[in-house]
Amino acid sequence: MSIKNLLIPFNLVFFILAGLSSPLSSQDQGSLFPVEHHELQNGLQVILSEDYSVPVVSVVIAYQVGSIHEKPGKSGIAYLLENLMFQGSENVGPMQHINFIHRMGGNLNAVTTEDQTLFYQKVPSNQLAPVLWLEADRMKSLKITSSKVKKAKTALIQEIQQRKNKDPYLESSLYFDRLLYPHFIYHHPIFGNESSIREITPGDVKEFYSSYYTPNNAVLCIVGHINKKKSMEMVKKYFGTIPKGKEIPSMALRNFSLEEQTTRTVENPLASSPGFYLGYRLPSPYSDYYYPLKIIEYILIKGDSSRLHERLIKKEHIATHLHGEIEKKKNLAAFKIFVLTNNQITRKMSRKAIFSEINKLKSTAISEDELRKAKNLLRRNYTYQYSSTLNKAIFLSEKFLERKKLNFQVELEKYLSVTPNQITRIMNKYFGPHYFLLNVNIK
Amino acid sequence: MSSLFQIPPKLKIILTLLLFFLLWGSIPSFSQEKFRKSPPPPDPLPQLNLPEIKSAVLSNELSVSVVQQKGPPIITLQLMVLSGEKSSPPDLPGLASFTTRMLPRGTAAFSFSEIQERIESIGGDFSTSTHMDYSLINFSFLEQYLDEALQLLSRMILHPDFNKQEIANLKRSINYELMDNSTNPKFLSKRLLYHILFQDHPYQNMAYTKEDINQITQKDISEFFENHYRPNNAKITLVGNLSLSTATRKVSHYLNTWRNQDVKKIPPSFPELNKKLKICFMDVPRVKNPIILVGNLASPINHPDFFPFTVLNQVLGGTPTSRLFMNLRESKGYAFYSFSRLELFKSCGVFSIESKVRPQVIFDSVQAVLNEVKKVTQEPIPSDEIEQAKSYLIGNFPLALDHFRSLSLQLAKIQAYNLGQYHWEDYYEKIKPIGAEGVFKVVKKYPLSKPVVIIAGEKEETFDYLQKFEEIYVYDSKGKLKYVQRKKEKDESY
Repeated sequence: MSIKNLLIPFNLVFFILAGLSSPLSSQDQGSLFPVEHHELQNGLQVILSEDYSVPVVSVVIAYQVGSIHEKPGKSGIAYLLENLMFQGSENVGPMQHINFIHRMGGNLNAVTTEDQTLFYQKVPSNQLAPVLWLEADRMKSLKITSSKVKKAKTALIQEIQQRKNKDPYLESSLYFDRLLYPHFIYHHPIFGNESSIREITPGDVKEFYSSYYTPNNAVLCIVGHINKKKSMEMVKKYFGTIPKGKEIPSMALRNFSLEEQTTRTVENPLASSPGFYLGYRLPSPYSDYYYPLKIIEYILIKGDSSRLHERLIKKEHIATHLHGEIEKKKNLAAFKIFVLTNNQITRKMSRKAIFSEINKLKSTAISEDELRKAKNLLRRNYTYQYSSTLNKAIFLSEKFLERKKLNFQVELEKYLSVTPNQITRIMNKYFGPHYFLLNVNIK
Repeated sequence: MSSLFQIPPKLKIILTLLLFFLLWGSIPSFSQEKFRKSPPPPDPLPQLNLPEIKSAVLSNELSVSVVQQKGPPIITLQLMVLSGEKSSPPDLPGLASFTTRMLPRGTAAFSFSEIQERIESIGGDFSTSTHMDYSLINFSFLEQYLDEALQLLSRMILHPDFNKQEIANLKRSINYELMDNSTNPKFLSKRLLYHILFQDHPYQNMAYTKEDINQITQKDISEFFENHYRPNNAKITLVGNLSLSTATRKVSHYLNTWRNQDVKKIPPSFPELNKKLKICFMDVPRVKNPIILVGNLASPINHPDFFPFTVLNQVLGGTPTSRLFMNLRESKGYAFYSFSRLELFKSCGVFSIESKVRPQVIFDSVQAVLNEVKKVTQEPIPSDEIEQAKSYLIGNFPLALDHFRSLSLQLAKIQAYNLGQYHWEDYYEKIKPIGAEGVFKVVKKYPLSKPVVIIAGEKEETFDYLQKFEEIYVYDSKGKLKYVQRKKEKDESY
């Protein structure tokens, strides 16, 4: 039975209820810019934000689904479905969504993460209705056929091959993820792997679509030169009669131990420089520890004047490449550093230098000037997240799905109120002897 | 009363079921609301009310402009020096680019590292870029640090320190970048195209090489800086929540001692047109699927042909719905992509088409691109296509102004080429009246169907498929002409 037919009985019910939806409307006062939140009767969350700088509107629809929702043997299905969302629905032909947006002069794209899939477009503000019509059609009635699934699988397998050819360190970084995140749902790659993609059937895709691509599992965000009342009328018209999907059972999330450590070495025939990955498991990103940890990330590795850049790249010239960040995967977080060096000696020196900088931060309180610099850089990057209508729409959608709250001012204040004492305390608590190290040797 | 019309209970059930199934069967056509069948029409085109550019000139002739905007608490400062790569001496290509990149690498008081630290302390982002006609410093920072930002900028401009260690470091960085690009067919083919199109023209400087960079000396940099970095040859633009009077007062405070001086200018001249089809092959190791770059000269930016040319570019290769993409990728299946591009400078423009293709179909792909170009030079483009292209351009224009970074890029062009506020306010009015005949008239003025064609790919994979061409100029990946191969003739070695 096709997805379209499955939706018919629900459709009848909701046809009667159309126009009766009485959304909860709330104006969030804790935001850095005006935001209005509604909920349709079918569970679709709607966020509106006016911005009259230029006559454009950005529309993002984000579904709470990603690689974390995939079952073993079916990895890559979330990303595969993201691609299939451009291959036609009941009233929109294959690739027509893209053609429609281009003809308007608009831009569009999509992205799949561990636990979200976002579709976004930026168009002239007079084109809001056609964009909502397009998004509603593929939410309501995506056409999934065997030939489309086959074609998408072939394209995805080719993409994986291209990624591997392009990035000689891809395999080692995936191996490091398997060490750091022991459970499948966190460590398998978003783009899947060749063997599991081959196993995905059209039935699997249809089931995944009908389970997660539902109004009650999505947030629709409209930002730009809009009339809020008129925009809500359009939203109700195009989305209000789409039937609510089945309740999605809450995920069985896993935790990891903060008191494990591992050191491994791999030989990489593709690599041209030796390097290593270093990782520290951290507490949940939903905890209050996350705020000082984020400041620590800036002190240690963000920006050209961060401690590790200053020492490894500029002063001692022992690393040729240095990248690191706090990685969030739903309820888990880890601090990850990747370093490339010229030879084994500088690799050893780089490792030593990193541990020495970590120890310094544990034993000596950071100066007010350095702390201010870290906070200003964080504030700049935080601000960039809402520096255009599209950035705002993505920011709002992601934050809403992540925390179900829109009080950004409060969140920003939490980062900006971190103290030197908190940093020392957190460093001593989470940057101890329990770390994960993967050395990469060239062959 | 018994009645003929009485329906037996069994039949009743059957009829009910039949009715149910009839209705059920017809549900798909009824279940879908009518509005879902076709897209709704858009609303009328909104008014393009764009922020005003307000300007003043300081006593040292430094021009200060402000675009006042409420929004994120960030100010973007752009210092433009109206000397670009075309101003590098003919024997020192790359000098303009090198000089701009030296600016944050040390002042009399601060080292490169200290400057980076000061930039990041105010939540700053600093970058430089050098174009054909101008050089740019882009500096954005948290709005409360305007004084600190201007003070730092003034130190770079008033007390630069082109020390030898940093010159060596920058040479190393540029050499790494060029090495990284040594197998990048996009970069290499563009560099060769510029080199060929701009023979004996100052714009050829943009095609600088590692050897050009390595010969630059401290004296060259200081001289270029002294001759070109003058307030009467510069413009500062600030975008953010500040007024022109605040900006003027503060810029003047930090930069009023910047001394003006006559700057020798190169008058714009249109390079000689390439009037003969020239096929070039460049051997780029490890490139299995070659890039084809087809290009020729077009109108300069500040010229009435700009708008019809923009429409032409859109019809041919602006997006995946344009002619080239639809033909080479969707219809023939030759290419991974095929897009056209219009780059406009003060003296001229370059209209180019870039395609990535399978090696087996190189010859056919080049022919297909040339045929598409020939078509627009032989007959006017149908009106519906012109209207579709215009609709895209009108819709797309405000999108590029929706972020402070892209807004700054637009402003840079307006400032560099004195396009004035009208350039964006009248954009719709300039595009709307363009018709098929107008585009056709402009197309015929330029020898677009006699372009330079660069094919960049690995020789081993590609060269066999090039044998149908009558004449091929064969280059190495450094852009050096190795020989010319003519069909059924002996090679002419260089």
